[in-house]
Amino acid sequence: MRNAALAVVLAFALGACASQGQKGADIEQRDLFDQQKSAAQQQQQNDAARQEQIAREQEELKRQLEEQQRRQQGAGQDPAIVRPLSDGGAGGQTTLKGDVWGQLKDPASGLAKRSVYYDYDSYSIKEEYVPVIDAHARLLMQHTDTKIKVEGNCDDRGSREYNLALGQRRADSVKRAMVLLGVSDKQIETVSFGAEKPVALGRDEESWAKNRRSDIVYPGEPK
Amino acid sequence: MTRRIPFLRWLSRGLAALILAGAIPWSASAQPIAIEIIGGGANQIPITILPFTGEERFARDKERISQIISADLQRSGLFRLGTPGSVRPFPAEPRDVNYRYWKGEGAETLVIGTITEKSDGRAEVRFHMMDVARQSQILGFSYLVGTQSLRRTAHQIADVIYEKLTGDVGVFATKICYVTKSDARFELQVSDADGYNADFILAHKEPIISPQWSPDGSRIAYVSFERRKPIVFVHNLVDGTRTVLANYEGSNSAPAWAPDGRRLAVVLTKDGTSNIYLINADGSGLTRLTNTPFIDTEPNFSPDGKYILFTSDRAGSPQIYRMRADGSGDAERMTFEGNYNVTPRYAPDGKSFIFIHRSEGRFNVAVQEFGQSQMTLLTSGGLDQSPTFAPNGKMVLYASEVKSRGILAAVSSDGRIKQRITAQSGDIREPAWGPLPNRRKE
Repeated sequence: MRNAALAVVLAFALGACASQGQKGADIEQRDLFDQQKSAAQQQQQNDAARQEQIAREQEELKRQLEEQQRRQQGAGQDPAIVRPLSDGGAGGQTTLKGDVWGQLKDPASGLAKRSVYYDYDSYSIKEEYVPVIDAHARLLMQHTDTKIKVEGNCDDRGSREYNLALGQRRADSVKRAMVLLGVSDKQIETVSFGAEKPVALGRDEESWAKNRRSDIVYPGEPK
Repeated sequence: MTRRIPFLRWLSRGLAALILAGAIPWSASAQPIAIEIIGGGANQIPITILPFTGEERFARDKERISQIISADLQRSGLFRLGTPGSVRPFPAEPRDVNYRYWKGEGAETLVIGTITEKSDGRAEVRFHMMDVARQSQILGFSYLVGTQSLRRTAHQIADVIYEKLTGDVGVFATKICYVTKSDARFELQVSDADGYNADFILAHKEPIISPQWSPDGSRIAYVSFERRKPIVFVHNLVDGTRTVLANYEGSNSAPAWAPDGRRLAVVLTKDGTSNIYLINADGSGLTRLTNTPFIDTEPNFSPDGKYILFTSDRAGSPQIYRMRADGSGDAERMTFEGNYNVTPRYAPDGKSFIFIHRSEGRFNVAVQEFGQSQMTLLTSGGLDQSPTFAPNGKMVLYASEVKSRGILAAVSSDGRIKQRITAQSGDIREPAWGPLPNRRKE
């Protein structure tokens, strides 16, 4: 009944429009058509641009990683050197696992840093975090039985599910970089916590920036 | 169909009048919440609901059946409640009504009723809705119910009144679910649509997101982080059991029921980026629907089950797309305004969809009709999330934030009426409005 009443009102309104002449309607239809066409073109262009951007990002990342490796090799740091345990896991444990835990604790190893931070809406790895990824990648290449989790996180604005997907992309970006460096993809599981595990609870850019991150986690690592 | 409703005056509504209905008291086993109406129509349907004869004997928590009916109608924002006048005792049957008196009081529609206890311990609720000008009954019903279910009967009566006077199906007898967070405890709660009878069906220290009702209301699918990664569960509300729907490598999320209730769309990352898959409700028969290197997430089935709306960043920013429910053919982009449109949800009539639109850093609920590329904003808050349609399509429930606290809010699908729902403490979020109960026989 209500719909019928609405239809009457709409019909009246449309009638009023029609009395302004057929010409106006034609133009409007054409406009809409153009709009749709340009939207479709735009979408195709966007898709192409997107693919290009991803390729560019990967190239850039690869370049950064290679640069990083060259620098380290130039400085005479042989990634194959296993460092002595400084405060090994379970009282001087000398198993391979203990060795990994020991290296992770070693402040000189660069492995104490476990987080990579991102810009808003972005999952590109910034240059300053390449050394973090590189350090962990080298450890994983030395210990191919060691498995890690990379946990992606977002700030809590917007859709929880989209943030979950974005967090996954962030975690995947770290995995991709490590695989490019030579780590087996079987050693890395990526998961996302989306916006659900914030480390900072403020409603400001400082807090949000802390929450846009990937954490590298070694399951079973002693505290 | 005896009464003509002055629909046209609904169309000529002016600025929404600010109606502060005040917080409705709460009594429930789970964390209390409260509902307030923060906007209403300037042109409301007048209705006078008189106390039902004998109702005080059946009142629970000092709430009488006529008060529950009144609160329902008032909360919708569509009705203006009249005063109960000075004639005592209140009329119980149509023959008791003094029409001349009620006309003098300005009443147009009068609701009267009785409750009596039957010999088997059940209660009989009789009510009549009377047209004061015509001095005739618009409708009348009798319910024979257990005294424990009188609140539900009140909601059913409110639904009958609402449907008769607005032409739309009432949703007062439906359920909602949502997630509360208090300190480090997350609870997935189910309650009546008015927030009463809240109880949690799952509680733990890890987050719970994306609850979705099965079409028959017997199950809820959700994402839980209790195993330190997102896993999709299906929870049976009838027997309290639950099963893992999807626990693959990577993230498992965004469950969406197909209208047949036998399959769900889910989002998995086991093969790379977030892609949409179809899975049987028992976790078997996984098939892939999208296969892109982009984010494809937040699937939502059309009411006829033929299409799926979803969010994708394939064009560089998250936008809403539509594809066939079997994944065949090309996905069609639906949203073009701005660079962040997410969380699409079909209207129950399938003619439009709601979603979250970001503009200048503000996130709001928007609505767009199919066949049009223009959207309309329904809210103006700024941090809105997770919109969910009432099963009659007339209200949208969504999560928002006030003073850094998570709240639920509701807005009529024309943006005119607004409600706010707050937990007594902590945050309330991730709402999902349940389906219509099996339609009563009339």
